[in-house]
Parts: sequence; structure tokens; C-alpha cells
Amino acid sequence: MIKYASHLLIGLILVVIADIAIGKALEYFYFNNESGLLHRTTYSIEETEADVLVFGSSRANHHYDTKLIEEQTNLSAYNTGRDGNFIFYQTAVLKSVLKRYTPKQIVLDFTGTFAFNQSDYDRLSSLLPYYRGHEEMRDVILLKSKFERFKLWSDIYPYNSLLTTIAVGNLEFNKRRENNVGAYNGYVPMHGTMQGSIETVKTDTMYDIDDNKARVFEEFLLLTKEHKVPLLVVYSPVNYTYASDYSIELCGRICAKHQIPFIDFSRSDDFVSKGDLFHDESHLNAAGAELFTEKIIQLIEDSVIDNR
Amino acid sequence: MLFNSFTYLLFFPLVCIFYFVLPHRMRWVFLLLTSYFFYMNWEPIYALLIGSSTVITYACAYFMDSLRVDRKRKTLLILCIVLNFGILFLFKYYNFITDSAFDLLTYLGLRVDFPKFSLLLPVGISFYTFQAVGYAVDVYKKRLPHEKHFGKYALFVSFFPQLVAGPIERATSLLPQFHKVIRFDYGRAIDGTKLIIWGYFMKVVVADRLSIYVDSVYNNPEMHSSISLVVATIFFAFQIYCDFGGYSSIAIGCAKILGFDLMTNFRRPYFAQTCGEFWHRWHISLSTWFKDYVYIPMGGSRVSTSRRYLNLMVAFLVSGLWHGANWTFVIWGGLNGLFQVLLIVFKLNAPKSAAKWATGLRILTTFVLINFTWIFFRANSLTDATVIIKRIATQSGSFFIGDNAGFIYSLLGISILLAKDLYDELNLNLPIAEHTYSKYLWYTSLTLMILLFGVFDGSEFIYFQF
Repeated sequence: MIKYASHLLIGLILVVIADIAIGKALEYFYFNNESGLLHRTTYSIEETEADVLVFGSSRANHHYDTKLIEEQTNLSAYNTGRDGNFIFYQTAVLKSVLKRYTPKQIVLDFTGTFAFNQSDYDRLSSLLPYYRGHEEMRDVILLKSKFERFKLWSDIYPYNSLLTTIAVGNLEFNKRRENNVGAYNGYVPMHGTMQGSIETVKTDTMYDIDDNKARVFEEFLLLTKEHKVPLLVVYSPVNYTYASDYSIELCGRICAKHQIPFIDFSRSDDFVSKGDLFHDESHLNAAGAELFTEKIIQLIEDSVIDNR
Repeated sequence: MLFNSFTYLLFFPLVCIFYFVLPHRMRWVFLLLTSYFFYMNWEPIYALLIGSSTVITYACAYFMDSLRVDRKRKTLLILCIVLNFGILFLFKYYNFITDSAFDLLTYLGLRVDFPKFSLLLPVGISFYTFQAVGYAVDVYKKRLPHEKHFGKYALFVSFFPQLVAGPIERATSLLPQFHKVIRFDYGRAIDGTKLIIWGYFMKVVVADRLSIYVDSVYNNPEMHSSISLVVATIFFAFQIYCDFGGYSSIAIGCAKILGFDLMTNFRRPYFAQTCGEFWHRWHISLSTWFKDYVYIPMGGSRVSTSRRYLNLMVAFLVSGLWHGANWTFVIWGGLNGLFQVLLIVFKLNAPKSAAKWATGLRILTTFVLINFTWIFFRANSLTDATVIIKRIATQSGSFFIGDNAGFIYSLLGISILLAKDLYDELNLNLPIAEHTYSKYLWYTSLTLMILLFGVFDGSEFIYFQF
């Protein structure tokens, strides 16, 4: 058994050495990214000092034109929205931001559900690279699993499945590509229009609420209150019709409880049925984003004035 | 408890340490308790089902062995089979049969409402039921005497490495091993560790990665073009191989470290030259189970030609149904049976020696045919399967890649898998590869690839649902 244990130990030592070496290299290149979504996350967490911050998922990322906000409000703006990442991610990022500075306005684009969904927890992997350097985010990151802190003993693990994304984010070509599509301060426009007629979609009906999600969502609202940052919670436009949506109702109720304005654009006549403003049923294209951002700018101006 | 969970990574080393520290006479108790603990991590109440199956088969075999009248022994065997398959039927097939009967009767203009059961399918029920029934049949056929030690028999039914997804062991092979005094064996432990690492690579790096693409395409087949559907089908072929083969590899490796030999379950199936050979390489423990307990008792090949074809079709149709209560699985089994029959009718079995190009062509043809059957296996419904086949034949269009990085990792995983399988298939045994340093390098690299490219969302193994 000793012979076996010694071979196992040698194997383990080799793995640990390689893990440290490869992990450190990945860390270096990850934080050296100058474009792409990894860079946008790092910038949101560690660098931005924009007056207006937009939080949300892909819908936020593609709907809020930061250039337009800057031009029309004279306030700097950054869009922290990231594809497929919902309230856990947004709250963790907010915690890091508030540790560094206090923005003048926050817009939270609400998407998702308060029901339990394992993939929402799995997606917290996008924050693993920040676990060591950002103590304030740890309680959210550790929701991913009870063994997460042990898994993070590995240096490679935080960069799992990111090798090619890290490589691309270091290429000058990717930076140029992002500029060419009109990306600006986190905002990434979508191009193309939605074809065909709109459908009636079966949206969320009553479900059991995931306590973690509800708690973290409330934490987001309370953090902004605590730091006296005006907050707007928005449900941005969709190009489908629906009878009722339990998640939107819940969001509205929680916002009302904390006296936070909640503006729901999901049935707005300015957008619904206008396929030329949409890339797909849940995402506006650049033209749609421009029109929508105009409306948000109005709300921001009112909000900032109100809070002066 | 999932093999690919962090809990199992803590559980197994602890089991090993305690197992080898304990005196021999206490080890079976320890393994029995850990096996039930392992199973009860899913749904504790369903441990009662394993317990019931254990008690039923043990009691039937016990009395069967003490009876001399063949008729009574046969009655006991039938009782044992009916009770075991009755439980399986209730949990797995009842709703399927009643739904199908309802559809048929409605089609005929009759309306009969059947009571519904909304029961969760117990994990691994098909596996341990088959293993237990196999034991009862073996005792009936006097291939082995009944096991006197109830505890060790209970361990045979519930042995945790192979409890929920096989390999489906034979009593003649596994039961005697629980009576042997086992000492820690360095060579076996090393072999077991290698199998475990390779199994994790297959599951976490290849199968779970491929599943992301396959699910995207197969869950919305009407949105995808021919090329995307073909790629998704090929990906699924490797996904299911790596998912199930990976599980088997980890199971065999874990058992090996503990000192037990489980049967080989997969032998590089996609290098098969005929569909017949494929079933000698794929899920070997199940295909031999069907051969021994269904095909041969029906007469096997020692009957008229037409009866032989019928026997083959029945064995494969039942095998299809074993996989799941859905017509897609029945058709999948039927197609595989049909391929076996056609092989015999047209005498297409592979010659022992052939030109390399002919061998390659046979492997490719077999791969294409098996992929065709996988469409039915993976499709969510028969309607989806027909949509997929229709679109593959007619629908040109753009190629869906999904996540670029994920697609690259998928191809990387398949390449490494095929390279390793090819190396083993050709039995190359290159001196450089056999060197200790090379082995360290290989298994360290596999571990690093698991960390770098593995999918760590703790997804279940496909075969758990069977």
C-alpha cells in the first residue's frame, strides 16, 4: 500500500505543480484581456468609475446604449450586463463596485426567474477568477456549491473552459472586431431584424421561490439604498405577447416593498410587434436599443434630478 | 451519489482506507452499509426496493435449491421473476403501457381511463433487478448453489460501484469474490486508478461537453439544418459512449482498487466492423445478459432459421424497452435487431482478414448504421425522430456551432478519445508509451485536461434513467 501511496503522491505532486504553473499563466492572460466578455467583467469589477451603471444579463448588455447615455446626459456610463448571468452575478459585481466608489445612478435590467434553476448557480463560474482577490464577492460565489472553496484550491479550476476565450481576448483582432460592431463601454449592439409574426409565449406561472435568489435580489436593492444610489429596475422590451408572468409580478412586488421604481416595458406598444427593432424575441437590435435607451435616458434624468 | 460529484471524491478514498483497515470478517458489513448509504443519497425510501428485490430473490433461490421437484422449482422461479419485474413494471412501464393502451383504444373509438401513478423512477432499478433475476435463474439452472450468506448476497445486489449503472454482474463471477480474503494489491490499485482517471476524462471532458451541443440541436430539431443534425447525431454517438463507458470505467476501477473484478462493459465499440460485432463491444454486460437469459432460453440459434430471426428480434426489442419506456427505444431496439437479422440473411459478417481499406469501409458503414439508430435513442419523441430524419435528408442550411469554444473542446475530446481507442485497438504497446515516465505524463495530462476542459455542473449519467 505504501508503494501505491507513494506513486499516487508523485502523481499528485506533478498535477499540483502543473496546476500552479498553468493556472498562473491563465490568470495572467485572463486579466490581460483587452476585449471580449472576460475583459468587460474585469473592467466592471475592478476599474469602472462610471456615473451610470447598467446591470443585467444579455438583454441589458444589448439594450442599453452607453454612448447615447453619455452623449445625452453628460454622465459617464458603463454596461456590466453579461450573457446568461442573472441576479447572483449582478449582486456580486455590485458589491465590488460599491467597495470602490458610489455611482450616481444604477439601472438593473431584470430578467430571469425567482424559481430554483441549477444552471443559474452553475453560471457563477464566471466569477471564480475573482474569488481570491475579492472577498466581498465570496458569499455569493460560494452559493455555487458547498465544495466550491475546496475546488478553488486548484489554480486552473477558476479558468475552466476559458482557454480559447482568454486567448481570443488577448488578440488585437478581437479588439478591432468589437470596435467594428459598435461596442462601447460594455454595450454590444446586435444587428439584423426579427422576421415573422409574433407569438404568444407561455411565461412563468406560480412557482416555489428560491430563497437564495429572492434574498440576493433584495440584497441588491438594499445595497443601493444603503449607499444612497438611485436605482431603477427595468423589464426591457420583448417581442412576444403573454397572459401573465409570475416572475415579473414578483419583481414588481419586491421593488414596491422597498419603494424602488420598477418600469415594465414588456407590453410597451412602442416595441411589441415591431420586428424591425428586434434581433430575436428577447433581444433588441441596435435600432431598438437606441429607441429604448432614449426612454431610459429620460428616466435617468428624472431620477438624477429627483435625487439631487 | 454521482461518481462525478465532489462528495464521491471524498467518499471513495475514505471507503478504501476503512475497508483495508477492517478485518476481513467485517468488510462485507462495511461495504453493504456504504453501498446503501451511496444509494440513499438519491432517494432514501427507494432503498426499500433494493431490499425487497434482495429478499425476494434470496428467498426464492433458497427454497428453489431445497426443492427436488422441477415443477415446484419452476413455479418459484416464475414467482421470483414476476415479483421483480412487477416492481420494475410498476415504476418504469405502467404509465407507458396504459398511455399506449389509452391511445390505441381512443383510436378504436373506445374511451377507457386508467389510474395514473406519478412515481419517480428509482435510479438503477433496471440494473439491479436484472442482476438479481439473473442470480435466481442461475440457481434454478444449477449454475451455482444458492448463496447461504444473506448479507453477502445483499452486497452482491447492492455493491455500490456497479449498483446504479452496471456492469450487470453475474452471480457466478461476483458472489464468490465476496467470500475471498482480499489483500491490497499494488498492481490492481494502479490499474484501477488509471481506469478511474480515464473514466472521468470520458465523462467530464467528452460526454458532458458534447451534451451541450447535442441538447441544443436535439431539443429544437425543427430549427436546425441537415449538417447540424448530422453533427449532433455523431456527437451523441460519442456522448453516450463516453457517458456510459466512462461510468463503467470508473465503476470497474473502483471495484478493482477494492479487490473485485467486474466484467468489461465496453471494448472500443466504434471500431466494430459489423453491427453484430458492435454488440460484442457495446454494453457487453447487458447484451450477454440478454443472450444468456432471453435469446438462448428461447432456442437461440439452434432452431429453424425463421425462429432464430424471431428470437433475435425479440431479444433486441426487449433490450430497447429495457432502456426506456418510450416507443423511440423500442424502435431503436427493433432496428438493431433488424441489422442482426440482415447480417445473417446476407452473410455480411466480417471476414477474418481483409484489406485495410475494406476494414475501414466496414467500420465506417457500421458507424453510420449505428448512428442512424441513435437518432431514435436520443430524440425526445417519435415525432422528433421523424423530423430529424426528414430534415437530414432534405434541409440544407447554415451550420449551427453554438459556443465556439465549446465546439473546439468537443472536437479535442473526441480526437483524444479516438487516438486512445485506436492505440488500444491496434494493440501497439509502443515501448515509449509503456515507460513509467510516459504513463505519469499521460495520466497527469488527463487530470489537467479534466480541470481545464471538464464540465463541472454535476450532470447525471444518461444510463441512470434506465
